[in-house]
Amino acid sequence: LLTRERKKFGALLISNEYPANTTSISYSISFVLVFRAIATMGKRKVGALEKVEADLPNLQHKLLRDPQSYVEDFRAQYYQYESHREIFMAAPGSSTESGIISLRDLIDFISHVADCYSDIVKNFPQQLIEMLTAHHAALDPELREKIVGSLVLLRKKDIIDSVKLIQTLFPILVSTPSKTLRELLFQKILSDLRASNSKATNHKLNRTIQTVLFNLVNSDRSSSKGLWAVKLTRELWKRQIWTDAKAVEIMKEASLTDNEKVVIGGVRFFLGGDKEREEMEDESSGDEAIDVARLRHQVGVNKKSKKKARQVEKAIIMVKKKERKRNQPHALNFSALHLLHDPQGFAEGLFSKHLQNTKSKLNLEQKLLVLQLISRLVGLHKLTLIHLYSYFQKYLTPRQPSVTSFLASLAQSTHNLVPPDVIEPLVQKIANEFVSEASAAEVASAGLNAIREICTRQPLAMNETLLQDLVMYKQSKDKGVMMAAKGLLGLYRKVGAEMLKKRDRGKDAAMGLRSGNINEIRFGEEAPGEIEGIELLEKWKEEEQRKKRIEMGLPPDGVDEEDEDANWANWDVEEEDSDDSGGWINVESDAEIEISDIEDDEPPAKKMKQGRDNSGDDREIKKNPAEEPLEAIERTSLSKFVTTRILTPADLAKLAELRSQASVSALLPGSKSGRARQAGQSSSNRHIDDPLTAAEIEGLAALSREKATREEKIAHAKGMKTDRDEFKSKIARKKERKQEQGKSTTNKEKARKKNFLMTLGKAKSKGKRSLVETRRVLKVHQERSKRGGRRGNKG
Amino acid sequence: MGSSQKKKREKQKDFQKSKLKVGKSRPKASNYTDTSFRSKAIIINQQSLKTDAPSSSTQFSHHISLLSAKSDVQRRESLAHLTTAIASRPVDFPLPQPVSLILPSVLPLFLDGSIAVRSQLLKLLRTFPTADVEGHTSQILPYIRAGMTHLAVDIRVSAVEVLSWLVSAAGPEVVSCAGGWVKTLNCFLSLLGWHTEESARWSANRISFGKHGTEGKLTTKALQALADFLLAGIGRPEDAQGIDSDEYSPTTLPWIFPLDSAIYHMIPSKTSLYDYLNLFGQPRDAEGEMYEHREDRYRIFRDLFLKPIERGVENARKEGGDVGRASAALAKVLTEASLSEGF
Repeated sequence: LLTRERKKFGALLISNEYPANTTSISYSISFVLVFRAIATMGKRKVGALEKVEADLPNLQHKLLRDPQSYVEDFRAQYYQYESHREIFMAAPGSSTESGIISLRDLIDFISHVADCYSDIVKNFPQQLIEMLTAHHAALDPELREKIVGSLVLLRKKDIIDSVKLIQTLFPILVSTPSKTLRELLFQKILSDLRASNSKATNHKLNRTIQTVLFNLVNSDRSSSKGLWAVKLTRELWKRQIWTDAKAVEIMKEASLTDNEKVVIGGVRFFLGGDKEREEMEDESSGDEAIDVARLRHQVGVNKKSKKKARQVEKAIIMVKKKERKRNQPHALNFSALHLLHDPQGFAEGLFSKHLQNTKSKLNLEQKLLVLQLISRLVGLHKLTLIHLYSYFQKYLTPRQPSVTSFLASLAQSTHNLVPPDVIEPLVQKIANEFVSEASAAEVASAGLNAIREICTRQPLAMNETLLQDLVMYKQSKDKGVMMAAKGLLGLYRKVGAEMLKKRDRGKDAAMGLRSGNINEIRFGEEAPGEIEGIELLEKWKEEEQRKKRIEMGLPPDGVDEEDEDANWANWDVEEEDSDDSGGWINVESDAEIEISDIEDDEPPAKKMKQGRDNSGDDREIKKNPAEEPLEAIERTSLSKFVTTRILTPADLAKLAELRSQASVSALLPGSKSGRARQAGQSSSNRHIDDPLTAAEIEGLAALSREKATREEKIAHAKGMKTDRDEFKSKIARKKERKQEQGKSTTNKEKARKKNFLMTLGKAKSKGKRSLVETRRVLKVHQERSKRGGRRGNKG
Repeated sequence: MGSSQKKKREKQKDFQKSKLKVGKSRPKASNYTDTSFRSKAIIINQQSLKTDAPSSSTQFSHHISLLSAKSDVQRRESLAHLTTAIASRPVDFPLPQPVSLILPSVLPLFLDGSIAVRSQLLKLLRTFPTADVEGHTSQILPYIRAGMTHLAVDIRVSAVEVLSWLVSAAGPEVVSCAGGWVKTLNCFLSLLGWHTEESARWSANRISFGKHGTEGKLTTKALQALADFLLAGIGRPEDAQGIDSDEYSPTTLPWIFPLDSAIYHMIPSKTSLYDYLNLFGQPRDAEGEMYEHREDRYRIFRDLFLKPIERGVENARKEGGDVGRASAALAKVLTEASLSEGF
């Protein structure tokens, strides 16, 4: 039988009461009484009989234990709630604190036990929703929060579904004037979306919410309500809950609205949302790695208990889970810019609405953001937006604030399908405005960098005289300018060597021009598609074949028919370890480490010789005649290899292996010419999705700044801390490590730290020892040290 | 060594007894907080200084405002003041304040934690003229229902007492106002624990918070109140429909020839005549609906409540004693109601 709970009915409620006479003479000097009340309050203690008798938490606890037996009690409380609700609905704004129990407590109580009595409470969620929707502005804040919390609780208990919950909360989020409520609602909505997408993607819910957000942005394009849609979408994008085109569509609409806050929210999403997502992923994957081995060791050493064993088990499960997660195929998430349906339309819309429109309310900073987005769209999707380039014209002066951002945007919006005659005036203007002997070094180097970035993307935008003029700056005294000019020179050696003066062309380009390998670039020409690293595979195949033929005793060169068949035979990828690859990387022993020679491409002595007679070049070529024809053969046979064969999966696996090997050996010092490597790094390492920033345009401008003053140097030196780890001794570092692991000190350390006064007594008696005593002590000491201390080395 | 001595002394200091000396003020306690302060001027807000005593009407309204005071003694005293003010007024004088102004601050006290406040409240309510209360039944009833289902037994008891007063004061209005019939009956059933067969058994127990031994008293009172309530709702037709049908019935007052069906054109005697249209309120469900006629009430009573109440009455009769006696009155009401329905 159930136990009856009886509690003495306390006549007094012991809240913080003033003495009874306080209110009756309230018009007396009240603050004195307040002080007295505070002074007396501390003495009062809660007697057992005075406790509040209406104990809903107690009842709730019992209900959850045994719902069936307490159904009548619950029903009574439900009627209680209904009466309170009726009272409340008659006057929603008034206080609901009547007597001992408030409506808030009742709502809390009912929502906690609602799942046990679903037939009694079937109207309850709807009532809460109505209460919140109709009166959220007038409600008491605590009650309001309680209602929101209860609705979320009901959602967790599956009494209402997510769609309903969010469709209730979202309109309030958008319309409420209370900041705290907005924060609460936003957090609740977000956590609910996360929770319902945690096990599997809840497509239905996502679609509904996305439609709601889309409509919110579209319904009133001049209001700032769309900001909530932007915030929510961005947050969900960051957490990889929404990764589809619909979410991007919401942001696209947001960027095309009239409210500047919403616009900037949308634009910032496109510019930074993907990066944020990546960072979030790194963060979540990289946190607290559990060291299972260490845990095991600790369990072995410490006292054994079930709790410890459980902890180890748990840790192992966690580690396994993480391992599994890591091994799972990585979800392919497209960046937001790639998921746009109509990038051309979007870019045109942005441009005409926010940049060309004279009534646009955006300030310069915001306009720059929009411009960045447009230029990234144009560069990435190779869009044609001819007015954009003339828009740049008026901003390209050194006095323009944040001009480097404009330069970066211009470079970014250039691609190989932009007509060169559109870009050419811009390049000319940059050269005129920025690059001159009279302008500051930073300005000149920024201009040169910008020109180089533009010409990397569209080499045809440069004419010969201008180029030759700009290249002359490589002899500038200023390092930044000189480097920038050399960058431009390096670029044109590759893409348009014939525009350079003969002496600037360099060895490779000059040779290429002579042999006709380098051909002119034409507008709109696309390089034929090829498989990356295919020549590596071909070379490898050839070698294999040659080896085989040598083994068989045939001449090494010749066509082998059987080889083809063998190829087809091992169609599948086999786990055979081909000769030298077993996860190991070959580092050539004789590769000498080349000390950087970026400073100058050729030693000056050689240059002079070059100037005198061109026959030197010829001689050089003849030094290794074998190389030249081989290259030519490669080029011709390359296409043949691809067109005559079908690559088997085994081939592709080998190809991947070779490619990674090549990329590793390219990074090793002295593998190839350092110069080629460096040139490659600057351009090819950049992913096509990555933005070009103003910092890159400014680039080497730091070098052209004048020397640091003494004060600056001192400040710099002070900024470097000497107590960094790398300056500490090995022992100190070890000690620190032990300490932070919670290890104790060694006996030696203890002895060293011992209080001097404590050692005095022993020292005194030491002096008075007799010879025999001393001998005994020494003997014991020696023996002990042989044994390895007091406890000794066992075994 | 030296430091440890010092520490010892410092520790000792805490336990030293401070000596009292004649002619000197007592030393301050260690946790003494100095609350004195200096100020150039002291301005006191809301100071009401008057040479003459406040009038009785201002005192009355002041005490109404004190009904929400923190201290229960204060609340009780204010209620007592209001009671005497109303009771001692000359006969046929209007109340110092209309009931509609008094009620909003009085109603939350139905659920007050203090028993003294609640008993004083009942005294105050009894002094109200019945005619003034009739119009406010729909306002009062939710509080009574909240009290009837309260966790604390004492509050339930006083809520039942208030309900019996209200039924005696304005019976027809109580049973016919919105939600007054079905919801109140539901509360009765849950109060008595008669909702389902399992819960109606004697072995079923309910949690109650309050003094020992108050349940029996509650049951008796609840049964009496239920009997009164049912009598008002579905009692014999002449009892229930009361005077207004009699007064204007064509048989009692012969109208002169050209007047026909004139009662329908007279000013109605009921308050809130068009309430049933529910023009401004929330939409009502079956429970919150108004049941204005005896037939309606009886029909819904037969459908929903007759069985559990009969079962409960049977059990109560078996129990005997006070409860049994009270149940007899209830049984009588039930049989009369079913008999009159049979006509």
